[in-house]
Amino acid sequence: MSAPSKRRVPLLLGSGKSKAVSRAGDRKAVLNLTSMIDMFTILVVFLLMSYSAEGALVTISDALTLPKAHSEQGIQMKLEIQVNRQVIVVDGDPIVAVDAAILSTGGSIPALVTRLKDHMEYARNVRGTITEEEMKINIQGDQEIPALLLQRVMASCSEAGFMSQNLAVIKVEGNGEEE
Amino acid sequence: MAKAASGRSRRIRHESELDMLPVMNLFCCIIPFLLLSASFLEITVIGMSGTEGVTSGGAGATANLMRSEEDRLQPKIIITEEEMFIGTAAGTIHVSYSFQEQRDTNDDGVYDTQVTNFHWDSLAMKVEEAHKVLSEAYPQITFRKIVILTVEETRYESIIKAIDIAAVAGFDQPGLQVAPSASVASAMGSPR
Repeated sequence: MSAPSKRRVPLLLGSGKSKAVSRAGDRKAVLNLTSMIDMFTILVVFLLMSYSAEGALVTISDALTLPKAHSEQGIQMKLEIQVNRQVIVVDGDPIVAVDAAILSTGGSIPALVTRLKDHMEYARNVRGTITEEEMKINIQGDQEIPALLLQRVMASCSEAGFMSQNLAVIKVEGNGEEE
Repeated sequence: MAKAASGRSRRIRHESELDMLPVMNLFCCIIPFLLLSASFLEITVIGMSGTEGVTSGGAGATANLMRSEEDRLQPKIIITEEEMFIGTAAGTIHVSYSFQEQRDTNDDGVYDTQVTNFHWDSLAMKVEEAHKVLSEAYPQITFRKIVILTVEETRYESIIKAIDIAAVAGFDQPGLQVAPSASVASAMGSPR
């Protein structure tokens, strides 16, 4: 077995020579980096503009598409309900399957109310009291869900004590372009 | 003069090169970091006023709107399967008929889904007009509340669109009422 050849491979940019000597002799090929620097500068500026120091406060499920709106009100970390055409999810736990029975009548959804009341009770036990901030809830609804389902979810939130409900949307600028 | 000129020409020219490689190294570190922490979608929220859910009985679609002068005067955007209206104290005005739109919901290039949509520009115009008329007629009241009264089948996207347009016009405290079609029709007949 022969030992691998010991070729010198530069590990970092700049560790080698910037000018490669051509086989022809003393002619030197110069790599022009100006255009690449220009591109990187534009890219860095763009990324700095969309840089978020806060990170993502909410995780949007792949199973739903949020509607778009011009709302400027920032989202806060609250209890999350995700509603799509298949299931209602509270804080990551699937609670109720959306079927014909759910869509046949109005009013609150008992299983959802129970789950939300449990959450409220847990918060009360942990902290001793419930603040107004803890009575807020974020609802992430798929843009295809019917109004009845949304109304039932909101009625369930109200019944469980979450009096302030926020609907999550994707912010758009101007005539509807996503930001 | 000639000697001086020839002296300058004999000087060896040193072309100064700016070494870009450290800058490139820096960029190669910064760009992945920024890509990871960039947020391309900004999620915001629409705060809802207390929802007035209408049960299947549906008789109380407008019963709770009499609490105060502002509540009595607050307009409603009424969305049915066929039409959209705006109801104010002055009466109900037709805004737009619905139309069917083909959509590519699966992002596969096939426009295979038919959804009901409305002419939202008309709504924007009418809501702005309603806000202006109400503000001029009742200058002592700040009109911020509006109710979206809709039938059960209306898509969530349409509701959000109506809320968004109303917010742009100045009605930034939306409420939602959902009722069977018959109840919505009766509410349209007696706008408050």
